[in-house]
Amino acid sequence: MVRIQLSTSASARLLLLARVWISLVVCMTAGGVRAHAADAEELARLIDTQIETRLASEGIRPAQPAEDAEFLRRIHLDLHGTVPSRERARQFLTDTTSDKRARLIESLLADARYGQHLADLWQGYLISPLADDATKRGDLLRKWLADQFNAKPWNEIATALLTATGKIEDNPAVTYLIEGRLPRTVPDLTDLASRYLLGVRLNCAQCHDHPFVNFKQEEFWGMAAFFTQIQTPKRAKQVYEKGVVDDPTLTLATLRDAAAIDGFMPRPPTFLGGKALPADAKATPNRVVLAEWLTTPGNPWFARAMVNRTWWRLMGRAIVQPVDDMHEANAPSHPQLLELLTRRFTESGFDLKFLTRAIVSSRAYQRTSRPTEPGEVADKQAALFGRMAIKVLSAGQLYDSLETVCGPATKVTGIDARQGTRWEFTQFFGDSGDPEPTAYRRGIPHLLRQMNSGQFAGRNLDGLVSRLSAADAKSPEATVSELFLAILSRPPSDSELRQAKSYLERVGPPNSGLRELAWVLLMTSEFSLNH
Amino acid sequence: MQPNLNRRSFLTATAAGVSLNGWLGQLAAAAPAGQRPKSCILLWMAGGPSHIDTFDPKPEAPADIRGEFQAIETSVPGIRISEHFPRFAKLMQHAAILRGMSTLESDHKLATYHLHTGYQNRAGAVSFPSLGALVAKELGQREVALPNFITIGRGPQEALTSGFLGPEQQPLTVNDPVRGFDFVEPAGPAEQFARQVELLQGFDAAFHSRYQSAAAETHHSSIERAVRLMNSRQKEAFDLSKEPAGIREQYGPPATAAARPAPGVKISAGERPGSFGQGCLMARRLVEAGVPFIEVVMGDGVGWDTHRDNFPRVRALSQECDMAMAALVTDLKSRGLLDSTLVVWMGEFSRTPQCTGGGRNHWSRAWSSVLIGGGIKGGQVVGKTDRDGASVVERPISVPDFLATVCTILGVDYKRKNRPPGVPRPISLVDTTREIKLLTELL
Repeated sequence: MVRIQLSTSASARLLLLARVWISLVVCMTAGGVRAHAADAEELARLIDTQIETRLASEGIRPAQPAEDAEFLRRIHLDLHGTVPSRERARQFLTDTTSDKRARLIESLLADARYGQHLADLWQGYLISPLADDATKRGDLLRKWLADQFNAKPWNEIATALLTATGKIEDNPAVTYLIEGRLPRTVPDLTDLASRYLLGVRLNCAQCHDHPFVNFKQEEFWGMAAFFTQIQTPKRAKQVYEKGVVDDPTLTLATLRDAAAIDGFMPRPPTFLGGKALPADAKATPNRVVLAEWLTTPGNPWFARAMVNRTWWRLMGRAIVQPVDDMHEANAPSHPQLLELLTRRFTESGFDLKFLTRAIVSSRAYQRTSRPTEPGEVADKQAALFGRMAIKVLSAGQLYDSLETVCGPATKVTGIDARQGTRWEFTQFFGDSGDPEPTAYRRGIPHLLRQMNSGQFAGRNLDGLVSRLSAADAKSPEATVSELFLAILSRPPSDSELRQAKSYLERVGPPNSGLRELAWVLLMTSEFSLNH
Repeated sequence: MQPNLNRRSFLTATAAGVSLNGWLGQLAAAAPAGQRPKSCILLWMAGGPSHIDTFDPKPEAPADIRGEFQAIETSVPGIRISEHFPRFAKLMQHAAILRGMSTLESDHKLATYHLHTGYQNRAGAVSFPSLGALVAKELGQREVALPNFITIGRGPQEALTSGFLGPEQQPLTVNDPVRGFDFVEPAGPAEQFARQVELLQGFDAAFHSRYQSAAAETHHSSIERAVRLMNSRQKEAFDLSKEPAGIREQYGPPATAAARPAPGVKISAGERPGSFGQGCLMARRLVEAGVPFIEVVMGDGVGWDTHRDNFPRVRALSQECDMAMAALVTDLKSRGLLDSTLVVWMGEFSRTPQCTGGGRNHWSRAWSSVLIGGGIKGGQVVGKTDRDGASVVERPISVPDFLATVCTILGVDYKRKNRPPGVPRPISLVDTTREIKLLTELL
């Protein structure tokens, strides 16, 4: 594998190197997925060696492998953002071949829904909840992101985002640069880029040197200076008419209303870590130079940040917690693992599917989340990735899972659907920012709506129940099993089957009973969680 | 989240096999005896009402600034307000007009966020809670089945959030007070709901015993609290039909009979004249039921954002607002609740002194808010703007000054710190990084 070190020489050379690199990557990916799959398999084993060595050194046994049903539901939620359909669940659970997990992983990664789920997450990160008319523009961005994640490596996606110019309809990547009628502010963009692309929280240093971390106020403003060339038209309409354009004459010193910005400090563009902008890079738009610096394989932040974030979202806990607060004083729980994944992710040409494939193929990912050890040992087992974390379905996962189970949403009274049903739903059930994947954050308002609105009750359930009972005349046991399979992606336990049967007898008319039972299953903790 | 508490309540409820009636049938206790804890009703004027056309009239200014409205005397000699608040003018002895509001944001969303959370939105890692959630956490009572923070009318969702305070303080939203709260009744018959919840209880207990998950506990405890609300008598607070017709009319005409705006003034689909008054009435009922913080939103759609047709719009909005606000204050007073209930009237900013094309644009440098009741020293004006209402010349009030004062009136220590998960520093209720100047003349 060719390695390119971050060179201190001219940016032209850097650009050339980057091009060589990209063409190499293109050759590699075109070369064959098979080699990649083997590499991912190898990396999965290395992950397990790291995790299990550490567990052994602390005298802790890892949990058992997850049952097929647990794995099936988990991998669908993590890679496609929804529970599997009843048909897919049945197919997988009755498959007796030994490589069925690996084949499922491949097929999920190859499906367009993989990119759509990542797009859903990244749209949430990139578009501020304060942005105007988030639906229409958000949808354009979401579609663009989905295509990117399905086909492109992370360095190309990040570059396209960082350097985006033009009008929204021509290049949806610019969407996040324009907040409704206003361009996003320079400090805001600096914070966004540093948290999501570098995995660091520079914003604490906007107004003063970071109290706990080695970030200086001048470093924040040095990075901020890369974003000043984005033109900020005075009137809202111009943002849409002209789109995003770089104006090389704009600097921090010419920033409008700069005096009103907290901690303002006019610094020249300076990369995080202290390196100044090369003199001959002045002709290139600053954002392009920043993207080149960022995605050079030797950059100490870029790959690490994405590795940590990917691990976080799949395993429920990051190697460095919080996920976007990576700095010297905040030690990783598994430093060698982080180093290994960062190196391999970089060598793969920032291939996110490769990284994801490796993680979900590991024994660590495929363990049960069921604790068998008591109290403190169980906590430690979880903290060392010896047992899978139980994650909470995001608003998007909840909505898409409901659609998988019940079919497309019907119009519902009492819900403000002016903005589009999915958008409205995710606004209502969602969290802004980066909620911890394991934190349950819904209260009375959410549960009232979940229990009593037509989205989870009423007509939506009729469709599900009639599909189940129309299939053919089955025994009550078989129908209950199908219902469990449709909603919880697993057959019922003996006790559950008994309870369900006696419930149906108590209710009387089978379809009413099944509808009531479906509601109960949709309300369970199990449905709201990814265990 | 309090996992231990949740775990305990979950286990006692399931292990002891508490009967359905025992679990579901409990009526929430009435408000406790003794000194009444304070409540707050925030009347949110979405869009930003002009200070000059409401509570800081400028009769001396040139016509294009003064505008079309006259100033009238109030019950407090020397304090004058817009002629379109005649009912409220008679209640001025209970109120303080803060004419020195001077804030930093003049975009709707950013300003709405700033005024609600006290912090400027920088898309940072910290998700700040809304004032209602902060107060709800400090003043909420466990024995009240209703959520501690309720919003009425279609509000600015991104600013009406519990942020890092989590699900317990998440606001419950009543979109349309006339229709009531949508999801407080089960979709099917009560008997069916009860047996479904019983089965759910069993399934969840089995899952919990296998997986021991804190998230599952919180999910189940949220269900318990929601069911408790559904079975409480206090949910009647959402049902305005329980209120005598005479009282309902005092708060504002029913939506159908409401005054229509002047011909040629387009009102967008979201706006329903009349529902603000009914929202104020619901707020009073919720205060009686023990809810510490209620926000009533006026001006869904364009609302007070009068870039065009400023005068006919502001006239209609003022009249509706005046009727509702005066009825609320009078009603609270007659029930002995005014001293323990602080009513706050404010928007996200104000509008330009200068009229252009029949409208006024955004203006955050100088504006007014109003505080009523809550035990404050009423009948006064704090702060002063210049002749044209363009800048504050006396007693400027920042967002933190304002929110710290509101907290202090409510008996909440604004310097108290929350420790949000994942944030390496404690965060005080109100931003104290700059010196806070409390409005001590009100206390």
